[in-house]
Amino acid sequence: MFVERTFADLHVGTKDLATQAVTGKDGTILVVLQLAGGNDGLNTLVPFADDAYYKARPRLGKKEKEIIKLSDHVGLNDSMPFMGSLFKEGNLGVVQGVGYPNPNRSHFVSTSIWETADTQNRSSTGWIGRYFDNACSGSDPTVGISLNKTQPESFGAAKNPGVCLSSPELYRWIHGGGEKAQAEEFFASLNSPEDDDNPVDGASIAMPAGGKVGGLEGESNLAFLERVAMDARVSSAKILELASKHKTKVNYEGTPISRSLNMVSRLIAGGMPTRVYYVSHGGFDTHNQQVNSHDRLLGQLDRALKSFFADLKAQGNDKRVVLMTFSEFGRRVGENASAGTDHGRASCMFLAGDAVKGGLYGSYPSLTELDQGDLKHNVDFRGVYASVLEGWLNTSSKPVLRGDFSKLGVIG
Amino acid sequence: MQPDFSSAMLPAAPDQWTLQEAAHLLRRAGFGGSPKDIESFHALGRYRAVESLLAPTEPVDAFTLPAWANREQAAADMKERLEQLQAMRRATRDLSPEDADKTRREFNQKQQRTNRQHGIEAQGWWFRRMLKTNAPLREKMVLFWHDHFATSIQKVKQPVLMVMQNELFRRHATGSFKELTHAILMDPAMMLYLDTQTSKKGKPNENFAREVMELFTLGEGNYTEQDIKEAARAFTGYNLNRFNGAVVHNKRQWDGGEKTIFGKTGKFDGDGVIDLIFEKEAAVRYVPRKLWEYFAAEDPPEEGVDALAKSFKAADFKVEPLLREIFRSKAFYSDKIVRNQIKGPVQFLVQMLKELELENPPQGYTVDAQQQLGQVLFMPPNVAGWDWGKAWINTNTLLTRYNVAGFITKGAQESSKLAANDGDDAMMDMEMDRKQMRVANVLDRAQRNWAGPDYDKIAPRALREDPEKLVDSLVQRFFQAPLGGKERGAFVEYAVSKKGAIFTNKEVGELCHLMMSTPHYQLD
Repeated sequence: MFVERTFADLHVGTKDLATQAVTGKDGTILVVLQLAGGNDGLNTLVPFADDAYYKARPRLGKKEKEIIKLSDHVGLNDSMPFMGSLFKEGNLGVVQGVGYPNPNRSHFVSTSIWETADTQNRSSTGWIGRYFDNACSGSDPTVGISLNKTQPESFGAAKNPGVCLSSPELYRWIHGGGEKAQAEEFFASLNSPEDDDNPVDGASIAMPAGGKVGGLEGESNLAFLERVAMDARVSSAKILELASKHKTKVNYEGTPISRSLNMVSRLIAGGMPTRVYYVSHGGFDTHNQQVNSHDRLLGQLDRALKSFFADLKAQGNDKRVVLMTFSEFGRRVGENASAGTDHGRASCMFLAGDAVKGGLYGSYPSLTELDQGDLKHNVDFRGVYASVLEGWLNTSSKPVLRGDFSKLGVIG
Repeated sequence: MQPDFSSAMLPAAPDQWTLQEAAHLLRRAGFGGSPKDIESFHALGRYRAVESLLAPTEPVDAFTLPAWANREQAAADMKERLEQLQAMRRATRDLSPEDADKTRREFNQKQQRTNRQHGIEAQGWWFRRMLKTNAPLREKMVLFWHDHFATSIQKVKQPVLMVMQNELFRRHATGSFKELTHAILMDPAMMLYLDTQTSKKGKPNENFAREVMELFTLGEGNYTEQDIKEAARAFTGYNLNRFNGAVVHNKRQWDGGEKTIFGKTGKFDGDGVIDLIFEKEAAVRYVPRKLWEYFAAEDPPEEGVDALAKSFKAADFKVEPLLREIFRSKAFYSDKIVRNQIKGPVQFLVQMLKELELENPPQGYTVDAQQQLGQVLFMPPNVAGWDWGKAWINTNTLLTRYNVAGFITKGAQESSKLAANDGDDAMMDMEMDRKQMRVANVLDRAQRNWAGPDYDKIAPRALREDPEKLVDSLVQRFFQAPLGGKERGAFVEYAVSKKGAIFTNKEVGELCHLMMSTPHYQLD
């Protein structure tokens, strides 16, 4: 009956390409970490030397003793001691004043803009998806894995949108009945190409996997569905197997972000050919009483990263991974009457990892020359993407970002 | 067999038709049905069946709106909200800035909570209507217009306006596309979505002017940037009263100067521009192509579009004759087209429920399922609407389809529900953790109590004696066409292996789940 096969076995011609050159198990890995809701850059990376900061934030301002100084001007919120030590070791890049022209203050629109890297918000593909399309053709569908329930917009692709799983338990065919193994065998046979011994055309790894503009020339809808069905079944079996096989020796907290990063580390340990992982840490929409909630969120992030990097080190994979944070916008400079902050504009980004050239990048936006109460950006986020694409994922950024953006020297 | 588009009108198929053809029409022009539904539809003959779709006896107001969406009630609610807002403003005058801010926030949060609840009710209302209606083509066209004139509740925020727009689509479902375009100009939800209500003389907003040409009527390449700039001036001065939903054209905020659009000069207003658009040749081709793609197949041959465009022009942009031509055409029933369209998520859900003869799916589950499958009613991703066809399918959405089918076919079992609704909920506000938890709890309860379909009716005991007959009956129910030998063989083998002393309801559910967990089941 059904013979278990890997993607590479399906198409002998693409075998080497698929497992070595494109998504080799030794390739570099990018972890994109979304801080959802609009992270308050001013209380994350505190401009403690600027009186305007304390004037704008009489209640929320972080005192000089509450920060980890990175320079004479700025310091990290002291909820992030691990990030502080990473900076000292030279493995944390901090980009200041990141944003884009004509910023939008809607969560949805601005998130789309960051994820598609299209400030017009008209692109139907995401920047990571375009990287998959442009630079990873012929690769396994697991070239990108999102630990979100739904596909992040950044994964939107014409050909290969990666896979997403909220938890591996759900990324599989769930058959509740008795004699599970038997049912699953039938399922496997129904979700594999017509002939098990001869891969049919259009059922293999080198083919696009979804997207209106993609799809194989002349590929029928049924052939397409059969191909995705097989990808789903095989990748789900693979992910489940790896996730249950690789236990980590490092302790993680029980928070969602820690659990997500723990899963990422197990998949890396298992040798997934994945180039980009996507995880989210939510709750940053701090309109109200932000002091405790914002510090708590940053603390959760810090402890999750601490476990994650310790874990990677223990695996020997620490040199292969770079993590980048982003958030849809920063927050207003002035605190509001509810001891919170409202939707703003420019904020900061972090890049962490052995390959990162630690330090501060860009310059801190002025707190007095504002644009409608908001910080003006001086680094375009697409320049940060370009740096990561070229310096870490080793691909030309122009086709991915649909333009030339000046890179920072933060990596590569 | 290639569809034949050689003559001006699409060549018609005879009145006589097969059960398979009837099922095809009912799936595409509606949401499919039970074997009984299809049999009685087939008995009408092709032409009468098409007419029954085009001229349904069910009135447009056959389904009672949620109380808050009723026009009078909505106006009263908006008035009350205005009064509350004014009272709140008066009350906060004497408060400290902190307390005033707190009061304002609480007021807004209460409003958001109400809107959110109403949004979910509106989604449920429309979904149930699709499921229960006797005028399925009308609902299918409402969905077409919703995708065509895409408007999202995420920006509009007021569910009552989305329902009003939905009613507008229903009234114009198979009517004149030109009239509907005129109406959409003054539709409150669309005005909020494309910023028409903020577009004033001297400061025109180009959003609506651009989309009405690019996405609604002509398509890219059929206008210039200058046409858009000039048209934007004509679209100024349309005011929306947020508190009673009334729209007026305020002549003082309208740029009444001369504009040159498509080479014609005049003191056009919005309606004037729309009339100009409908004089363009591209307007005759744009929607017919989209309708063919929606009901039949992507990438229609140009000769087919030519034929439909001719008819559309002759009918002065009325949709009904065009649909009649499509549904009666030979091409619509050709091998290349039948069972070769990828179901959209809403179609997948409604049709599955109809095939399983389920009128009352677990409350809330269907909205959650829509979200995970990538198509939430009232929430198209952007003004271009959804991407259809292959774009619906990736490894995750496909597995989710299989698992949704598992839940619906088998009833509540501990592991088969969807992922809990945590964190990144798509609805409107990100601040509502507690509300979200409550919604999730309601969902959980509805899911726990879900009993599943009535298998004694769907697969009578006598039928279960013969696994082959059982499989053929279920294949007819779920696919309405014979399957390949491999699939049927696998199903029969599975049924045989299950048939012990008795074939339990649970085992029938498992067989149904297996049938739906196939690439074939994703096709219509």
